[in-house]
Amino acid sequence: MKRRDFIKFFGGALLSGTTSAYAFRFLTTSILSNSSRDNPLPARKWGMVIDLNKCQSDCTECLTACRFENNVGFHDDNRWDVHWIRKVKLENQIGATVKEKDIVLLCNQCEHPPCAQVCPVQATYKREDGIVIVDHHRCVGCRYCMIACPYNARFFNFKDTHEWVNKDRPKRSHGVAESCNLCAHRLDVGKQPACVEACQNSGAGAIYVGNLNDQYSQVSRLIQGNSVKRIREDLGTDPKVYYLGL
Amino acid sequence: MDIKFESIEGKSFEYRVMMIVFAGFTVAGLLATWWVIQKGIWVTGMYSRAPWGLQIVMAVYYIGLSAGSLVISGLYGVFGKAEYKPFARIAVYIAMLFLIAGLLSIITDQGRMARIFIQPFVHFNLQSMFSINPILYIGHIFICLVYLWALFYEKKTLTKVVATLAFGWAFCVHTGTGAIFGFGARMLYESPLLPASFVAAAMASGTALMIIMIVMLFKLTNRIVDDELIIWLGRFLAICILVVLYFLLVENAYRAYVIELRHAAIFYLFGGYHSILFWVGLIIVGLVIPMAMLFNKRTGKTIRWIVLASSLVIFGVLCERYVIVLPGLMHPPELFPGMKITQSVFQEGIATYNISFLEVLQAVGVFGMIGFMFGWGLKFLKLLPTEARALR
Amino acid sequence: MNINRIFGENTRGVVLAILTVIILFPIGYSIISFVFAQTSPNAELFLEMPDSTYTECVKDTDYMRFHHWELLQSVRSEVVRFGIRGDISLSGCRKCHTSREQFCNKCHNAVSLYPDCFSCHYYP
Repeated sequence: MKRRDFIKFFGGALLSGTTSAYAFRFLTTSILSNSSRDNPLPARKWGMVIDLNKCQSDCTECLTACRFENNVGFHDDNRWDVHWIRKVKLENQIGATVKEKDIVLLCNQCEHPPCAQVCPVQATYKREDGIVIVDHHRCVGCRYCMIACPYNARFFNFKDTHEWVNKDRPKRSHGVAESCNLCAHRLDVGKQPACVEACQNSGAGAIYVGNLNDQYSQVSRLIQGNSVKRIREDLGTDPKVYYLGL
Repeated sequence: MDIKFESIEGKSFEYRVMMIVFAGFTVAGLLATWWVIQKGIWVTGMYSRAPWGLQIVMAVYYIGLSAGSLVISGLYGVFGKAEYKPFARIAVYIAMLFLIAGLLSIITDQGRMARIFIQPFVHFNLQSMFSINPILYIGHIFICLVYLWALFYEKKTLTKVVATLAFGWAFCVHTGTGAIFGFGARMLYESPLLPASFVAAAMASGTALMIIMIVMLFKLTNRIVDDELIIWLGRFLAICILVVLYFLLVENAYRAYVIELRHAAIFYLFGGYHSILFWVGLIIVGLVIPMAMLFNKRTGKTIRWIVLASSLVIFGVLCERYVIVLPGLMHPPELFPGMKITQSVFQEGIATYNISFLEVLQAVGVFGMIGFMFGWGLKFLKLLPTEARALR
Repeated sequence: MNINRIFGENTRGVVLAILTVIILFPIGYSIISFVFAQTSPNAELFLEMPDSTYTECVKDTDYMRFHHWELLQSVRSEVVRFGIRGDISLSGCRKCHTSREQFCNKCHNAVSLYPDCFSCHYYP
């Protein structure tokens, strides 16, 4: 009986000791990481406008630029390739006429993102400036966000990324989900996203990114002056990627 | 009524073979999981359009199978049917094992397995079903442990309280598991009925498993069980099947009726090999035939037939889990209603998925692990009563 | 309270021993590796002096030696979760401490810590 009591006491002390040690560590780290500084994010709300009338059907400059800028995983196999931005051909049949259109699809940066809602670890979240971004350090790879996304815009790194084009940006090891984050690292330092730059350099100038909260910004003026459309507005996710001429 | 509980001796040839086989399964599963961790999830054949595979199917299936304790603790603890008390220990033990199996399946499915032990509990997301469910599962495992403890030491009041708690908690567990899919945004997932039908299917499969386990274990270890108890469970199983069928009917009728969802319903019901699983595996073999067996006056009172019906139900519910998880994934979300995507760098449209060898190995490994624990429990814990008699 | 009601004979000792070993293993492992790391011959000063225009690091050496991971973690959460891109970054470290083998791995190996920063972030 005595030995039993000792084991009970010892085991209990050990268990509570380890758990409290862990708890202390987590508490302190969470306090550290949540230290709010004054940050410039809330004043802005990034949005994108894509002018499909200017988009040329055989041009893939934005896709290549994105791949090179963000080291997006590419394995020459469309089952496991990651596409932050992709181009599809759309066919609309009305009676006997068939209308074809090329459309650039990417993460819609929803105001109410379903992927962030279902993420069990808050790895996918909406920044205060409206960018939906993945914290790869935290993602456990459950792939629930891919199922929740109504736009098929989220991808999973099934394989390690091998080529490392842009050494300033991280590549991904296998097991994390991701999607377009509107090149947040470039927007934060006042540059335009890679796809926008590439589109302007190619001469088309079909993609614009800007502050939706500023009513004199280029995107706001484009939205005011034209009839814009978003993909599946009826879902209530309130996407921030606007299309002209969809 | 005084019930004596005895562990098995565990020295027979069959027992040793069983344990070795389970250990082999476990090793195979561990090796497969190690390979998947090293190489990445792509080796299991999952890809961008089918990000969930057999592991998730097995996880929800295992969670469903744990509902046997829900039934037994409901009968004994909540509704006071004292004749089911002899089965309480084994039911709760099996429930605990299957919950562990469900958790293991989910864990081995993660892309970054090492993080799953810490991150979900540090960065808890109250809005995510995937975040709430592990809490429910782990809570249920703990409740099962307390329940077992109360049963082993025959604490009357505690047993009553914990049985009631376990009953309610198990409802939450199965509802929550159903809500992973039912609250999802896919056309074939989104359904408020799914959590409820999930509970019904879980109770059916759990009861079926309990029937098989009780009959098999009592027969193999030469213990006495009154036929009446099994027959009553069989009747309960039949009612569960009826409820499952009702939910399936309502859900699919709704999908077929609403114009917006009609093409999804057609894909679900007549769109590939999952439809065969649905019609043949689930509806005919898994539900209708066993129900006919159980409602039949003669076969419904024969233990052999009841066990056969239970096995069919267990198979049928596995098919049900498959046709819940995978067709919903393969059917694409509609980006442009009324238009067609003709060309893309990426597989748009309806996806395909095939179960791969590695996934089967992982599933088998999880099964072997809990099988090993089950055998261990039979030998070292006093789980089985020497006899179980109906009250007269 | 009779334990034999749950367990058969002779098993509880084995079970408890196994459980204790499982619980103790990680703690003991880290304690042992920590102690050995202090006395190991590799545990000399690891810092190669950087040949660079900078003479000082962002924080003093003592802090950096033992708490650089805390700094990096808080910088990481600032950048990833709040979008504050300050002066401190891994590519900033790279300016002075040019070699990962010499600078990071030597010390990490000695204390058996294997952070996986560089499976994704570039450091030559």
